Amino acid sequence: MARPELIEILERTITGEYCAVKDWDVKRIPRAIREKLKKYNLAQSFDADNPVNWDDSLADEFYKAGFELALELGMHSESTNRIVKISEGELVDAVENAPSEIFVGEGDDGIWIRARKPEDGTPMVYGASMAIMFPEDLWPIITEGIIREQEVDIIEGPSLVTIYGSELRSGTPFETMAGYLHGIKNRELREKAGRPGMGAVGCTTSVTEYGQFASYGVPGGFRPSDLSLCLFPSELKINNTVLHKVIHTHNLGGFVFGGSPAMIGGMSGPPEGSVLSAIACSLLQYAVLHTHVGGGEIYDIRSLTNVNREGLWALSVTHQALSRNTHLLTHAIASEVCGPVTETFLLESLVGVGTIAVSGTAFGTGQRPAGGKLALYLTPLECRFTAEVAHNAAKLSRKKVNEIAKEILPRYEPRIANPNIGKPFTEAYDIETMTPTDEWQVIYEKVKADAISLGFPFETDK
Amino acid sequence: MSLEEKKKLLSNSILDGEEDLSRGFTDECLELGADPTSLIEESIKIALDEMGERFPSGAAFLPELILAGDAAKAALEIIIPKIQEDDSEAVNKGTVVIGAPFGDVHDIGKNIVGAILTARGFKVVDLGTNVPPSEYIDAAKKENANIIAISTLLTTSLPFQREVIQILHDIGNRDQYFVIVGGGPVTSGWTKEINADGYGWSGNDAANLCLQLMDDKQKPPLSEPVVFGAVG
Repeated sequence: MARPELIEILERTITGEYCAVKDWDVKRIPRAIREKLKKYNLAQSFDADNPVNWDDSLADEFYKAGFELALELGMHSESTNRIVKISEGELVDAVENAPSEIFVGEGDDGIWIRARKPEDGTPMVYGASMAIMFPEDLWPIITEGIIREQEVDIIEGPSLVTIYGSELRSGTPFETMAGYLHGIKNRELREKAGRPGMGAVGCTTSVTEYGQFASYGVPGGFRPSDLSLCLFPSELKINNTVLHKVIHTHNLGGFVFGGSPAMIGGMSGPPEGSVLSAIACSLLQYAVLHTHVGGGEIYDIRSLTNVNREGLWALSVTHQALSRNTHLLTHAIASEVCGPVTETFLLESLVGVGTIAVSGTAFGTGQRPAGGKLALYLTPLECRFTAEVAHNAAKLSRKKVNEIAKEILPRYEPRIANPNIGKPFTEAYDIETMTPTDEWQVIYEKVKADAISLGFPFETDK
Repeated sequence: MSLEEKKKLLSNSILDGEEDLSRGFTDECLELGADPTSLIEESIKIALDEMGERFPSGAAFLPELILAGDAAKAALEIIIPKIQEDDSEAVNKGTVVIGAPFGDVHDIGKNIVGAILTARGFKVVDLGTNVPPSEYIDAAKKENANIIAISTLLTTSLPFQREVIQILHDIGNRDQYFVIVGGGPVTSGWTKEINADGYGWSGNDAANLCLQLMDDKQKPPLSEPVVFGAVG
């Protein structure tokens, strides 16, 4: 049986079984996950002493359980309170026929995102940065700065918080105007930086479909060869906002970049539960949203990070499960809590991105300095650093990354509850010359040297 | 079965998130002559305090917290009418109207705060997500609320937090409700900028904030916001 057409998916959002969202969240999801963990004897498998998994059989068991969970649950439409169920034949077809490679961007500046396996030695493609807030006078400067970092493969980039001096308001015409401006300017900056065909993720300024419609596929804006950001709520939920974005993207022949983090401590419960939820969600989005790239995100809502032990373990198992058993173009973020011009921030990135790269993730994005909470807390230097990690970690084994993680974790774990937010862009960089301050440069070099001494193979030809 | 045993069963039903059982055991305790106020202290509060400890320690997760809150609420709906008015004010810490603002459909932060507030003795009216500014005010008026709590994950929904305060000011009702804010992009600086009364970084911070606002004898609007767990 073939993957359902999108029109059929829309029908199922209307005709599917009725389920109030609260019942979905607090009853269906936890109960189904608990039962699966019990059935497969996976309930106590989190290993705090070895945060990076290398047990293939464990990953494979989680995959089987996650696949079953996907069939049992389906996805819940918040907009209609109906469940979109997918049959086994449909899910198998969706996963088998999902793309194993896509070319993002154009010409010599574009890049292939390809399916990877754990320890396969191929560099993980890396996009930067997360949607850190920037005022419109500095936004072009930081965005261009990131584009000029040659190690960064795809530009995602910060978000605007004002438009022509006015505050942005989500879901209003302000957002439509801002989305268009973001798309146009992002493309201009790629031209200006000498990387006109560089792939991009659009549109981080836009939260609702309005900004997406205004920026993706419009003349001068994000191209259909760029990734269209189509995030949806946890756990296993969709809504009309994401469906608008998905259909708009497919109408244009674009690439759906889907994603939804499974939340440790949230509805999926413990790390083991979030692995199951992440696997199920990853598989289902290829059937329901016809995703091209995405799936495998994890976040710990108790610590507001995923580079703690629980998060690293859950990321490693999820991505090993998916990459060993499918050719999906999976995705993950390392979600840091400390900020620029701190050693701990780079250590978090090293361990987080190293973990996902060695676990077979196809596409990594980041950074999320200071938890993504503070405007101006982002610089191009950490984008370069993390892209270097993404490209070089593939040379390592999972066991080696686990050893490095165990060595480094004690150096930043104490700061997870009390993060050092570091310094904003304006204090971390000379904006005229677009160079990092000596302080920041010294930290970057020290962390790299420390990592090399631990066996991390930092090399670059860019 | 003795009253003490029934009280224990009531506590356990709350910890297990079993609403129907919670109602049933509440009725049975009252039939056995339990003092309503003592029942709250000895069965309900004890269970909620324990659940409040389990969540941050990782022994329980968000669904258990929410379900425990619902089970406690079900018990309180039976008990509170049986308490004299001045006693009920002693056990009901206050009423909070909470929601994620217009343009924001993220609900986890709001759910965590709502569950912890319920666990700490507040009546919580959850407006859901994507809530227009005026709806907070309409709900606060209808529920005779003490506090309006606005939780957002989106920078582009921040202006709606300010708009709630602005509308209250424009209609001459700013002194009727405390307005507190929180969520990913919210900082203590933003809280002060929009003249909100308080900010809480975590769910527990939000609960401590609400307790302090209700315990202090000040009236809204506060000249300086009360801040718990500040970042930035």
